[in-house]
Amino acid sequence: MRQIVFKLRDGALRSGAAEVPVDVSPLTPDKLFGEGEDEIKSTKVWWGNRQENVERIFEVSVSGDASGAEEVKVVFEGELRKVKRIGYEMSAGEIVAEGSVGMHCGARMRGGRITVNGSADCWAGCEMHGGTLIIEGDAGDNLCACYRGETTGMTGGTVVVKGNAGECIAQYMAGGEITVRGNADMLAGLDMKGGKIVIEGDAVMPGANMSGGEIIVKGKVIDMMPSFKYEETVTIDGEEYKKYRGDFAIGEKKAKGTLLIRS
Amino acid sequence: MAVYTDVLCPFCGCICDDIVVEVGEDGKITKVKGACAIGRSKIMGHDRMESPAIREDGELRDCSYDEAIKRAAEILADARRPLLYGWSSTVCETDRAGVELAVEIGAIIDNTASVCHGPSILAIQDVGLPSCTLGQIRNRADIVIYWGSNPVFAHPNHMKRYSYLSKGRFTPGGKKDRKMVVVDVRETKSAKLADLFVKVRPGGDFLVFSALRAILRGHEDVVPDEVAGVEKKDLLSLAEMIKNANFIITFFGMGVTHSGARHNNIANAIEFTRAAHLHTKATIMPMRGHYNVNGFNQVCTWLLGYPFSIDLSQGYPWYNPGETGAVDVLVHGECDAALIISSDPASHFPADAVRHLARIPVIQIDPYPNPTTEFADVVIPSAICGVEAEGSVYRMDSVPLRVRKIVDSKFMADEEIIRRILEEVRAIKEKEGE
Ligand code: SF4
Repeated sequence: MRQIVFKLRDGALRSGAAEVPVDVSPLTPDKLFGEGEDEIKSTKVWWGNRQENVERIFEVSVSGDASGAEEVKVVFEGELRKVKRIGYEMSAGEIVAEGSVGMHCGARMRGGRITVNGSADCWAGCEMHGGTLIIEGDAGDNLCACYRGETTGMTGGTVVVKGNAGECIAQYMAGGEITVRGNADMLAGLDMKGGKIVIEGDAVMPGANMSGGEIIVKGKVIDMMPSFKYEETVTIDGEEYKKYRGDFAIGEKKAKGTLLIRS
Repeated sequence: MAVYTDVLCPFCGCICDDIVVEVGEDGKITKVKGACAIGRSKIMGHDRMESPAIREDGELRDCSYDEAIKRAAEILADARRPLLYGWSSTVCETDRAGVELAVEIGAIIDNTASVCHGPSILAIQDVGLPSCTLGQIRNRADIVIYWGSNPVFAHPNHMKRYSYLSKGRFTPGGKKDRKMVVVDVRETKSAKLADLFVKVRPGGDFLVFSALRAILRGHEDVVPDEVAGVEKKDLLSLAEMIKNANFIITFFGMGVTHSGARHNNIANAIEFTRAAHLHTKATIMPMRGHYNVNGFNQVCTWLLGYPFSIDLSQGYPWYNPGETGAVDVLVHGECDAALIISSDPASHFPADAVRHLARIPVIQIDPYPNPTTEFADVVIPSAICGVEAEGSVYRMDSVPLRVRKIVDSKFMADEEIIRRILEEVRAIKEKEGE
């Protein structure tokens, strides 16, 4: 196992009164596999509008060996809220972030595993295609959704949020599975086409414009969409759920989404 | 005395183009006819910023244009995450120079759309916009819906010139040939004039649009008896009005873009317009505020591919409102210098954003002092576009118009100021490169 630790240097992101975010998308197990310690330290990362050697911003320590990207583990330490794009487009290996992370964590990831021991800011797991993303705290808005202009969000993989999730999670979701242990804010599963979302807490206006897939809400639904049709009561794991079909706002033919609400 | 007719008003997104301006022997404007009160005051002019200035030991010290421009360039060239913000109350030629500056210094460039109709733009990109020109509305619309907008206050001449009260080719009787519907969370002055007023619970617009879509698509059976405070029978009668109309226009304002589901409200409003197409002709249009807020979005789209909130820091345009908007980077404490042109974020941004702005170096370009001046470090006064400088602008319905120069001014035009800053920045970078 090869372990690479990036510890954010204190105050490294300060520029005057501002804290300028750093983009760590080059620091994934698959991209760093095969690189020597010096090469890793001099990897260029964007900090604001200029590129810097990663060593200027992080203390870097490298240990062990790997015969493939799956055997590479990358660890981020320090105050990570201004560290963006952790695990961006990653395809293999493991990343652990010790603390709350900045935007786009695990976005466009295809494989491997990311664990965030804290909360993740907006766009975590955005357009994710595969792999596993575990967020121990809360997730921000647009979790597992898509970037502006796209019409397909998450297509595969597994995401677990142990806290609450923000607005518009899983917008245009087409595949994969998301579990939110807490509540989901407004419009979870907006424009959803496929895949599955389990919300163990409450949800606000879930399933708008849904044309496929399944949303299960175990808590309360606040502001139920007025364009869903009640079909029947079903039993899942010994619990009764009301089953709705929608969204009829997009027309009957396309309304193939399923919304299950615990009664 | 000289009289100028068909002058365009450079204030709100209506850009009224039938204003008459009289200029006295001394080259000063003496009279403005045909404009509303806000427009008149803008054209007449009021207390100006008299001289360029640089803040030293907490006080603004008057200086020359050259000195202020040089200092502005130094601040911007040095910054790691600069923000260039405003751009809505100036002409497209300035905006084009602003984009060049943003590319040169790897800045975030954003206009006031990000705090007004940005959500509308996001929605339009998602689902398109079945729209039209204001002229078509004047000549054809027999149902005018103002949704979350209060034109009596925000766009005083709008109803008279383009919509409910105007007389057009197929609507010669004016308001006799039209019906007006107002949908809002409270009974505004505009609502009092309406044939039908629908009162929605705050934050409930999204639900009402979805219910109307389902009804217009023939699924009224799924809609419950009450939706967000609106009785089903009222929704059914609105749907009936829509089905029987010839031409519908929905004007939506900040009441929809800034409550509840925000940009998704607009996406849903557009989908509602589409559902109405199953029965008749329907169109929809945002009530844009500043006269050229649309123009900046046009310029940016043709130069960078995106309309606003564009981050050029990594050498390519990255568009992600919520991350790259002016308010976003200020609230998150990310940007380390800002240039503010023809705008007043100190009055319009959330407190956290203003607090950060006050802590970083700020360059302000504006004809008038405003609360942002209180903490600006470099202040550069400019000529008023449409009165003292000419240029292209885009009306709220995206019709391009040319605003004119009517009187001479001792102040430099916005475009020249930005181009001079750009030259200085290039000179600094060349030196650094040596
Ligand atoms: S309605 Fe708008 S454009 Fe027309 S005169 Fe008034 S401020 Fe000017």
